[in-house]
Amino acid sequence: MKSFALIAVIVTGWLLLSAVSDFPDWGDTESPANDYRLSQHYITETFPETSVPNMVTAVLADYRGYDTMFETVVIFVAGIAIMSILRRKPLDHLKDKGKETRTYKKDPDLIIDTTCRLMIPIIQLFALYVVAHGHHSPGGGFQGGVIFGASFILLALSRDLQAAQRWVPEKRVLNLAGVGILIYSGFGFACMLLGSNFLDYEILHKIMPATPIEARSHSMLGVEIGVAFTCTAIMFSIYSNLASNGDMKETL
Amino acid sequence: MIPATICVVLVCIGILFFVGGAVGIIRFPDFYTRMHAAGKGDTMSVFLILMGLAAYQLADFSLANILVAGKILFITIFIMWASPTSTHALIKAGFEEGQKLWTPNGEKEDSGK
Repeated sequence: MKSFALIAVIVTGWLLLSAVSDFPDWGDTESPANDYRLSQHYITETFPETSVPNMVTAVLADYRGYDTMFETVVIFVAGIAIMSILRRKPLDHLKDKGKETRTYKKDPDLIIDTTCRLMIPIIQLFALYVVAHGHHSPGGGFQGGVIFGASFILLALSRDLQAAQRWVPEKRVLNLAGVGILIYSGFGFACMLLGSNFLDYEILHKIMPATPIEARSHSMLGVEIGVAFTCTAIMFSIYSNLASNGDMKETL
Repeated sequence: MIPATICVVLVCIGILFFVGGAVGIIRFPDFYTRMHAAGKGDTMSVFLILMGLAAYQLADFSLANILVAGKILFITIFIMWASPTSTHALIKAGFEEGQKLWTPNGEKEDSGK
């Protein structure tokens, strides 16, 4: 079986490496990615069409919004998969067998506790800034959501998992993850209800106090917020499941 | 307004601290002294290098440059908080785990645990 896997790896690697020579050179202006008029369109027309100065976010959340929606779903599914593999009831029967479960119920360290208490609000504020400013500067829903999730992970590291779960219990994590995708697809369906294509934000100016071009910018912010919800929830869920060995009682 | 010499001097002193930290991590004999070197390097040299960069941004005063310098200042403050605390947490964890202390006469003594 192992030799079979080795053959499969070698054949796949050979196929991938044999394609390397067909790639265009670094920075080749004649390469299809640079030559095709689509990228020229993005570079010159993004700001007039969407009033978003950050081209990357405009492509990600507007021109290819469908792709990003399912990337969010992929994150959601990954979190659900990790939860369904690792989550289990606390192992009470192991204690009876004398196999002591490691308990780290020591009093929290004063220095670490104070620093983290000062830092966590600032991390969360910065995460909100990254989300809210994502269509004007580098950043966006994924990055902001990960920073926000990291603040909860820091809380769980500096105190214990219970302290973090007071703020984001397991049920709320799942709700938040679902709500994020609901916000994103809700924007898509709102476009459909108003008589346009799925995720074609321009039509949303009918229900927003904005021009059609500004409506695209505002809708991008909306879907980024949805992405941030899902990322925050799934980040914390993955951490707490992995660190507590799936029983959500105590961390490392 | 701020001459570039100041920026260069600040960044160079920061790099000097980094070199000291790196040499210390390799050369020092036990866990605690190595952590000491690592904490010094990460805190002081990052502080100096970022201050040099902030001063470089302020070469001419405009709103955008001052905003960038302010953001660099925030990063600096954040690192000045976070780096000593993480060093402290690592050393405390090592102490509770029972890392040995180094003594000058060559033999290693127990850390009291």
